[in-house]
Amino acid sequence: MKIKDICKKKEKLLRLKKDEFMELPFPYNKGDFEPELRELTADQFQTIDASLDGISALGMRKPKSKEEENELVRKFISGLEKLLDPDNNWTFLMPLHHSLEYCVKCQLCSEYCPIYVSSGKKEVYRPTFRAEVLRRIIEKYVGNKGRLRLKLSGSDIELNWLTISRLGELAYRCTLCRRCAMACPLGVDNGLITREIRKIFSQEMGIAPKELHELGTMQQLRVGSSTGITPKALSNIIEFMEDDIEEKIGRRIKIPLDKDGAEVLLLHNAGEFLSWPENVEAFAIIFDIAGIDWTLSSELLGYDAVNYGVWYDDIQFTRIAIKHVEVAKKLKVKKINVGECGHAHKAMIVVADRILTEDMNIPRESALPLLKDLVVGGKLKINPQRNNFPVTLHDPCNIVRLMGIGEPQREILKRVCTDFREMEPCGVENYCCGGGSGFAIIQSLNFPDWRSSISGRMKLKQILEAFQGVISPEVKKYVCAPCSNCKGQIRDLFNYFDVNKKCGIFYGGLVELIVNALDDLKKPFIEWEWH
Amino acid sequence: MPKAVLGGIEIEVDEDGFIQEPEKWNRQVAEDLAKIENAYPMTEEHWKVVNYLREYYLKYEIAPPIRMLCKQTGFDLKKIYELFPSGPAKGACKIAGLPKPTGCV
Repeated sequence: MKIKDICKKKEKLLRLKKDEFMELPFPYNKGDFEPELRELTADQFQTIDASLDGISALGMRKPKSKEEENELVRKFISGLEKLLDPDNNWTFLMPLHHSLEYCVKCQLCSEYCPIYVSSGKKEVYRPTFRAEVLRRIIEKYVGNKGRLRLKLSGSDIELNWLTISRLGELAYRCTLCRRCAMACPLGVDNGLITREIRKIFSQEMGIAPKELHELGTMQQLRVGSSTGITPKALSNIIEFMEDDIEEKIGRRIKIPLDKDGAEVLLLHNAGEFLSWPENVEAFAIIFDIAGIDWTLSSELLGYDAVNYGVWYDDIQFTRIAIKHVEVAKKLKVKKINVGECGHAHKAMIVVADRILTEDMNIPRESALPLLKDLVVGGKLKINPQRNNFPVTLHDPCNIVRLMGIGEPQREILKRVCTDFREMEPCGVENYCCGGGSGFAIIQSLNFPDWRSSISGRMKLKQILEAFQGVISPEVKKYVCAPCSNCKGQIRDLFNYFDVNKKCGIFYGGLVELIVNALDDLKKPFIEWEWH
Repeated sequence: MPKAVLGGIEIEVDEDGFIQEPEKWNRQVAEDLAKIENAYPMTEEHWKVVNYLREYYLKYEIAPPIRMLCKQTGFDLKKIYELFPSGPAKGACKIAGLPKPTGCV
């Protein structure tokens, strides 16, 4: 396949066949264990464009007339011109420019990309493919109008609505894990280019997956959380968690809410409250025992650390980041600690640094080093024998590769369990769970199949390899994933391949393992119930 | 938005069949949704779950945490899956007329 094929009038550029995907280890190396990827239904196929690979993340409507086709192209070019203009893209223009200019097409990055490798090395998924499409469009159609001029020649790309539609979908076939950027000898960041393409679609064309924008960012700004939790529901859930803690540890803990002037404002991904309340409970137990002066917030947005803008839109990103800081300032807390959520780490601690100046720039830290200090510092009575089952660790890309926070969680695991096994590779070289950049929450059409069978495939391989020798379902095993988004993806991935039943592997966060190792608990904290 | 005929009336549904007009929900709508989700005929136990979800939703505009659902109904997750083979969200919540869960859940 050539770059210029992206503009071809063809029902599908790529036909996905499961027998061409990367092979998985035992017990998935023989027999027919893998479902076929679902096709769109006949009705959906009539209205939705899936001409890239038969999959749809965006639910992009097919244009109904020549005018609509032209409008799509016109808007894209208008957005692209803004993307290349310092006044309109002061946030990311410099790294974008470097990445567009310096790639020498050595293709070293391709082998580092879990999606390219897992798919059976499909050309269209190469990290350089979408970047090169963008370069050629700029060369041929933007030229001098954009203030940057790329030194390229021989651009053979034709700009029609299919090119735009496929490029939009292609921007959602990369989890922004940025493993390719780490591999590049020149520092080219194809993950960044991918996100810049998403920005054109969202900021200029109003196109983004509805789970990220309408039901995500917009709902969060409206009711306080992308999950739909209102402050009233939050109070009810917190009361429930206090009861639950009492039942589990035999003692009631007051979960502090809106405590003025507290040392720490703990911000969780609100998904934890609904799907994994044991994570929030474990934090409360640890902080209570260690005597941390902390609080949760019940202000709108103050109880949901997510900022989906980090995946697709600078303007939405900024609106949320500012709200988070306003909540912290109103409470007069000393700092924000982000709980087990990878993209909130990236958004709040790293990227927000570009927009939070002067008095807005309050200290924002990961909770992991704090947890390490508590475990190592001896305030918690730990008995690792209580976690005497095999444990492996998943490194969330945003916490580990992006921020370099890799040691605290390992220091903790070495102290709280007896059989900790690293995945290979791990740390900053980890593989994404396959749910990064919003994939884990895109639940519509046939995209969930793709993110299990292709973008999550490498992670499944790593997990199975880490547990070879104890893979039988009789041995309970635990994948520690200190990130809500990664947990959701691992859950869906395991359901897709029936991993829990076939191999006895569970998943959960880091704090649950710490609490489960507390020596004076009457009964185990971890319940091994699949959820 | 596609429409479906449920309980004899036309209701807007999303692409996964979650109803988009919660005010049109009634017992017949629930039973028709239960047929689609392999949870038919609905027993008293089904109704216990569905009614709890419905009441919680009307009060808090959201589905309760799964753990809360189990505790309040006295059914463990295994039992919920027996009653609703497509699970608490895609099965029970859908039949109770709740919208599809959103966010990192």
